[in-house]
Amino acid sequence: MGSVKVSELTKEFSGVHALKNVNLDIQEGEFFALLGPSGCGKTTTMRCIAGFEQPTSGIIQIGETKVNHIPPNKRNCGMVFQSYALFPHMNVFENVAYSLNIKQLNSSNMAAKLPIYLRLLNRKLGKYPKPIEQKVMEILQYVELDKHATRLTSELSGGQQQRVALARALVMEPAVLLMDEPLSNLDQKLRHSMRNTIRRIQQDLGITTIFVTHDQEEAMSMADRVAVMDSGEVKQIGTPIELYSRPSTPFIANFVGTSNVLKGTVVGQENGYSVVKGHGFLIKSTNHVEQKEVNVIVRPENIKAFKPGTISSDELTNMIEGTVLVSTYLGSIVRYDIKVEEYQLVVDTTFVPGEAILTEGEKVQLTIDPERVLLI
Amino acid sequence: MKNRLSSFNGLTLVKVLIYLFFGVFLLLPLVSVFLVSFTGQPINLLGSITNSNILQSTIEKFSSASFDNYEKIFTNKTYFSAVQNSLELAILVSLIVIVMCIPIAYGIARTTMPFKRTIAALCTIPLIVPTFISAYAIIIMFGRAGWVTYIYNSLGGEGMLLDPYSMAGIILVQVFFFFPYALWPMVAAFKVSDISLEEASLNLGARNWFTFIFVTFPLAIPGVISSALLIFTVSFSDFGTPIILAPKDLNLLVVEAYREIAGFFNWGGAAILTVIMVLVAAFFFWLQHLFTKGKNYGSVSGKPKQQKLNDAKGLTRTLSVYSLAIVIIPLLAMLSIVLQSLATTWGKNPLPNGYTLSHYQTIFTSSMGNIQNSIVLALGALILSVIIATFVSYFVVRQNSSKLDFMTSIPLVVPGIAFGIALIQTFNTAPLHLTGTALLLIVAYTIRRLPYMVRSTMGTMRAIKQDIEEAAVNLGATPLTAAITIIGPLMLPGIAAGSILVFITVIKETSISILLAPADWAPMSLAIFQNILRGEYYTAAAMSVVLVIIVLILQAIANRISKNQL
Repeated sequence: MGSVKVSELTKEFSGVHALKNVNLDIQEGEFFALLGPSGCGKTTTMRCIAGFEQPTSGIIQIGETKVNHIPPNKRNCGMVFQSYALFPHMNVFENVAYSLNIKQLNSSNMAAKLPIYLRLLNRKLGKYPKPIEQKVMEILQYVELDKHATRLTSELSGGQQQRVALARALVMEPAVLLMDEPLSNLDQKLRHSMRNTIRRIQQDLGITTIFVTHDQEEAMSMADRVAVMDSGEVKQIGTPIELYSRPSTPFIANFVGTSNVLKGTVVGQENGYSVVKGHGFLIKSTNHVEQKEVNVIVRPENIKAFKPGTISSDELTNMIEGTVLVSTYLGSIVRYDIKVEEYQLVVDTTFVPGEAILTEGEKVQLTIDPERVLLI
Repeated sequence: MKNRLSSFNGLTLVKVLIYLFFGVFLLLPLVSVFLVSFTGQPINLLGSITNSNILQSTIEKFSSASFDNYEKIFTNKTYFSAVQNSLELAILVSLIVIVMCIPIAYGIARTTMPFKRTIAALCTIPLIVPTFISAYAIIIMFGRAGWVTYIYNSLGGEGMLLDPYSMAGIILVQVFFFFPYALWPMVAAFKVSDISLEEASLNLGARNWFTFIFVTFPLAIPGVISSALLIFTVSFSDFGTPIILAPKDLNLLVVEAYREIAGFFNWGGAAILTVIMVLVAAFFFWLQHLFTKGKNYGSVSGKPKQQKLNDAKGLTRTLSVYSLAIVIIPLLAMLSIVLQSLATTWGKNPLPNGYTLSHYQTIFTSSMGNIQNSIVLALGALILSVIIATFVSYFVVRQNSSKLDFMTSIPLVVPGIAFGIALIQTFNTAPLHLTGTALLLIVAYTIRRLPYMVRSTMGTMRAIKQDIEEAAVNLGATPLTAAITIIGPLMLPGIAAGSILVFITVIKETSISILLAPADWAPMSLAIFQNILRGEYYTAAAMSVVLVIIVLILQAIANRISKNQL
């Protein structure tokens, strides 16, 4: 088991920067997600850690050891590939036993190597030693595949293949488990249950895990901490709650959940509030920032919508008037697109049965709690 | 530097060895032969490195280097006519083949011609038979005592219908035994153009023949030209036919080069002829490549279009009769060989005078060694090419090693006889004195057939995703172990199909066998050749039948394997 430290990692592909000064400090036993849109460098970062790409500059450490010059086969990073990369000519058992065979191969002398090669080439050519068989069956039991041990991988369902890939990576007791978009090939329902399975196994084994995904919901629901990446750079690292409540840039605010982003200027301080003026609105925030030009970030669920004249007086702070453009009923909530001057705000309100939904074209008054207004 | 060292693993070593192999056995001989074409005396490049005396004499030879040999191409009548005749032969054969194949290709591609399957099946016969056996078959048919001559005479003809020992005889063999190489590309070319274009032409008032000449044919022209160039190279490089059929007064490059080396040990003369052969073959190969690359009128559209076939009764019947008449000739040639092998005596008669199995008995008692040699040599070449081709395709596909890709395609343009001469010339002295050994023979077969093997394994390699290999490495395997345990087994079907083809072509190989095989390693092809030269026609025929049967069986296995793959 080990921590992973990446310092000033830079990778160029023929002059183009795929990674720029990436710094990550992943604790032992942590479930760490690399989140970002496609092409952001998250997979390249992972491949650098696994050793499939040589960084242009920067240092990668696993535990206390610098691994830059250790070849990928000696890094002891178990990897689950996006396509699973199961060996199609081997059955489930053989796939999982592969790393154990290799380990034995490396530790035995010339004469002892032959039977191992033989059973690697064809299962009929050699018997597996008891310890290997036991270990493989144990891990297969753990991922509930022991009954399918002799099946070819092509005969398994997507979820089962996924678990074979996981078992194959885990059986070598890796220092770090790397997972490259492991759920992207599964259907919606299976994805949800696999999320739980992976999280449970990770917690059980306490194994340091790096998880690459473009799906923010996946990252937020599974990881202890998330690094959001964009165009080769790490934009922010934090727990899911931190990322959601205190995004450091408008990009993150919109990538992690939905946000309303308004541009404005800080015009003064008043009773401990910062006052921000924008085109056609004046908004107060408990947030204090140094710069004058700010982005005002408000989550849709932090805006309340009222029919004109129904607001109680204690909620009058940060009142804005607008017109409903679209209202979308989404079950437990109702989402409104509301036009305020030149902006279009997204507002989520809890649906209360019996209460009327605002209709398109209706005038509406919005209020925002100053504590929920983030300035960045 | 440290990085360099850590990446120096087993695979890098293999790559170095492969480069070394090609360097020593392909590039060195070709370079040597090129140098000899200037010096006129053998050059021992390897020896020059290891021995200072040899180096001294090599330098002396270089100081006397000249363009004398190149002048000889024009001043020496023999050489000049050899170049002229070879070009003439290749041009005539390719023109005749193209004209002959147009109706057949059109019939197969665009009509509901009857017996299409039979015709297609018969077209494979010429590909199975080595050319010197086909040449010999033509002698059985058209020779002074041949059955065709007999029929011709009894119909009132004088002498022979066609003298097999002449340019016409050579053309006859090459046309009827090389045409399938052109036919299938031409069928593909005719399939490209759309029937709707023809219907449009008819709709606009054009007649059928007019439509064919001005619409259908022009669309197929790129494919047709490429086929013609291919036939040119094949005919130009063919050794088996001319060596059997070329009369003394007909100079051809391949035969002349063979005589210079095998008869007179004239290194300079052989070298210059070799250089010319390689240059011409390479030029036409390049030309053909250019054509297939540039003018491919959208044959790769993903949209499968239903083609309407021409089913006019008169036309399809005529085409069918014509096609059958052509494809029946190689079949008759083969049947003649079979009959000859079973005949007690046969001459000036449509059928043998009597039948016997004694010729087979002879070869299975006295020539068993040749059959064995053929199999051992072919197996050796097979193993060597499997190993090399597997690694080469790995390097080309995974590491984008385009240099290696280029190197393995060089043998495609080097005619067998030219390669053989280059090898003899390079390896007939120390430090690598290999001429006359089975090893050099195996190496020569391997290099000559490697391009086909590499194409086959490269296809399979491309189908294996990179991440499967990365997974193995991630699980602790070195790249070499991953190659052996994962990539190897996954490539097995491709390797199997490819290696059978190598086996077949090695058994059929003529020029290398005749030039390089030592007496105690004589393969079947050489034995047949010598039997024919000695006039032992019946045993030659029996041996030919055995050879063709071996090839047929293997071909069937290869077809089955590649079918299972799909």
